[in-house]
Amino acid sequence: MAQVEVSHLHKVFEGESRTVTALDDVSFEASGHTFVSLVGPSGCGKSTLLNILAGVEHATSGRAEILDGGRRARLGYVFQSPRLLPWRTVLDNMMFVQPDQGAEHRERAEHYLEMVGLSDTRKAWPGQLSGGMQQRVGIARAFSIEPDALLMDEPFSHLDAITARTLRRELHALWMETRKTVLFVTHDVFEAVELSDRIIILAKGGSLRQNLTIDLPYPRDPSDDRVALTKTEVLRQFEDLDLVAS
Amino acid sequence: MQATLETSRVPAAWIRIVHLLTTPRAARLTAPILIIVTWQLVAPLIGSTLLPMPIDVLEEFIDLAIEGTVWSAFAISFVRLGIGLALAVVIGVVVGLLLGLSPRAEAFAHDFLVIGLTFPYLIWGIIVSMWFGFGDAGPILVVFIAAVPYVIVNMAEGVRDAPRDLIDMARSYDAPRLRVIRQVVVPSLSPFFFAALRYGLANGWKGLVLAEVFAATSGAGWEIAGMRDIGNASGVVAYALYFAFFSILVERLVFGRLSDWVFRWRPRRPEAARAVNA
Amino acid sequence: MGRRGLSANAARPPIDRRATRSGYVLPRVSTGLSRLLAYAIFLLGWQALSTFVFPPFILPSPVLVAQEMVSIVESGQFLTHFLATIGRLFVGFAIAFVLGAAIGIAMGRSAYWREFFSDYIMLTLTTPGLVFALICAMFFGLSPLGPVVAIILTAMPHVTINVYEGVRAIPRDLLDMAHVYEVSRPARVRNVLVPAIAPYLFTAARYGFAIAWKITALTELFGSASGVGFQIRTEFLLFSMRGVLAWALFLVIFAIVMERFVLMRMERRFFRWRRQAFA
Repeated sequence: MAQVEVSHLHKVFEGESRTVTALDDVSFEASGHTFVSLVGPSGCGKSTLLNILAGVEHATSGRAEILDGGRRARLGYVFQSPRLLPWRTVLDNMMFVQPDQGAEHRERAEHYLEMVGLSDTRKAWPGQLSGGMQQRVGIARAFSIEPDALLMDEPFSHLDAITARTLRRELHALWMETRKTVLFVTHDVFEAVELSDRIIILAKGGSLRQNLTIDLPYPRDPSDDRVALTKTEVLRQFEDLDLVAS
Repeated sequence: MQATLETSRVPAAWIRIVHLLTTPRAARLTAPILIIVTWQLVAPLIGSTLLPMPIDVLEEFIDLAIEGTVWSAFAISFVRLGIGLALAVVIGVVVGLLLGLSPRAEAFAHDFLVIGLTFPYLIWGIIVSMWFGFGDAGPILVVFIAAVPYVIVNMAEGVRDAPRDLIDMARSYDAPRLRVIRQVVVPSLSPFFFAALRYGLANGWKGLVLAEVFAATSGAGWEIAGMRDIGNASGVVAYALYFAFFSILVERLVFGRLSDWVFRWRPRRPEAARAVNA
Repeated sequence: MGRRGLSANAARPPIDRRATRSGYVLPRVSTGLSRLLAYAIFLLGWQALSTFVFPPFILPSPVLVAQEMVSIVESGQFLTHFLATIGRLFVGFAIAFVLGAAIGIAMGRSAYWREFFSDYIMLTLTTPGLVFALICAMFFGLSPLGPVVAIILTAMPHVTINVYEGVRAIPRDLLDMAHVYEVSRPARVRNVLVPAIAPYLFTAARYGFAIAWKITALTELFGSASGVGFQIRTEFLLFSMRGVLAWALFLVIFAIVMERFVLMRMERRFFRWRRQAFA
């Protein structure tokens, strides 16, 4: 079971003439099969937080790690853009990130490709797929290494609304089946309410303002009254914060 | 004065020097110094008839400057270059525009252009020397032949890249044709024109110098080949230095800050702009 | 109705879309036909000029040149000298390519090496090849080192600047993705770095090779006792335009064959993924 631990995390970027505080004393925890959304306006450091957890960036001070039984957890990462190797086939892209290239892992890769409905594309080049399809491959890729935890950085923000809705449903189905710990960054409050158990709201300047638990049962139908109410409530909290923030 | 603990036996001054030497700025100086030092060390081992000593080359370099033929030689070369280039531009621009406008003409001329771009200048030099003997005509013709394909290709590219959307916009406002040409077409063609000039000049120069070896009795190419004919090794290297000097001068002076072609691969100095909040 | 029926029955040449864009409508003539026409007109024009206008020692007819080429091959001269040139060319080019790529990578990764080599590269790009050919021919005399060193001096910078551009253009986002997924270093190099630099390597090879074969011939002309360049000099001293053109054509045909049938073939295989992608 993966454990997310963020403790007094600080991240400061030194520019040519000014310093920018991306994260300001952020602390939270998440464990087990929780879907956590990080929500906030642009410039609130949510992507930076994800990058630090993934090891792509370093914290200025404080601690941020994802552990699984004491050791560093294996992570899957879905980016805003699919980040597929354009010169390798879809299946080769899936195999690229596997810990080894044996038959067992190959079957696993094919299995997850099928779960997102893209088995037919396994020999295709990424350039032959639409943006939505490429992103689905990216999601399948992240799941296929059977990680301890998943990090997702606004994976649907570059897609049109209809494709985004489809992929959101697919992601949810995948998550329900595998029940991993997920850290999901988004600027879309409604998306967060539909998908997550927990919503963490960051304000501009990188401070953590709210740590909410969403206690609605799955699946969450957008037309359900309780879901709509929760959305309004969270949105209100979100907007209140914006007024207070500098 | 505070007493400092000597933690190492190496004097601080040395450490500072080594540190300075490893900075990128020092690298620009280290390279030529290294070349000259190696040259100085290796030359006596090989034998000075084949490999001149740096000091001999320097002497020859200065002698040439004082004696004066080097200046007139390059001057003659530049005049030939100018004439050939002017011809290449006049004809090349017209042909290039034509090819850009008509895909059929372009298909027709395509392979000629490829051949024109790859045909060695050496052969042209020899051919014109057999046609014209020694004089100005041969070298000037070679300049033309070397430069014109580049002018044509660049102007054709310029036409193909014409901003159709801007032209349509101007037409939709019923702008008079002359104004459209002056304010939309000409500016959009100008970077291609400069590229045509630059590539035409660079290649015309290479062709010229080679042609002068075979088809002239004056000019920079003829002089340096002459140095080799009489076995004056220091002379050849000294002339090579003059070539380098003039080549850089032409690039820098004539094209100034537009000479990105040679320098574009160098990293630009960071813009001294205020940090913009993206 | 009748008129329309008539024109509908007649074979209608489709409108060439590109021609329409620039303002006039053409019946579409296939590009292949245009090119064939170009060659035909060129050869006919050459033949006409050589028959009616110029004497054969100024402009030999295409037939004469072809005959000369055949006799060069038959006499065995072609093999001797062509192989000599090719040998020097490939050795020089191989060294220039490997060294150039290494320097390009070093320059791409380190500001120090960038500054170290930048002046040398700028100088060698602007100085005419003649200078290098003369110096190498003079210093190395009749040894094959002459052309080889000349190739290295002139072709290397072209390789270097292209590889440098390739290193600078390496997609950071893909490398980050590989890093996050803890992909091993050899797998990263093989699957991300090499394919990303590949197009630049091809450009480097193309430009480098184009310079290399020309400088080989030039250096041979000044200072060798064998090779295509030496033969051209011989023919020149004999004032045989026929011979000069024959050997020149051998060189040019060789260059075109290398470009078309070797380089392009390799490129096609490597870059299948680019051509098959839709915009």
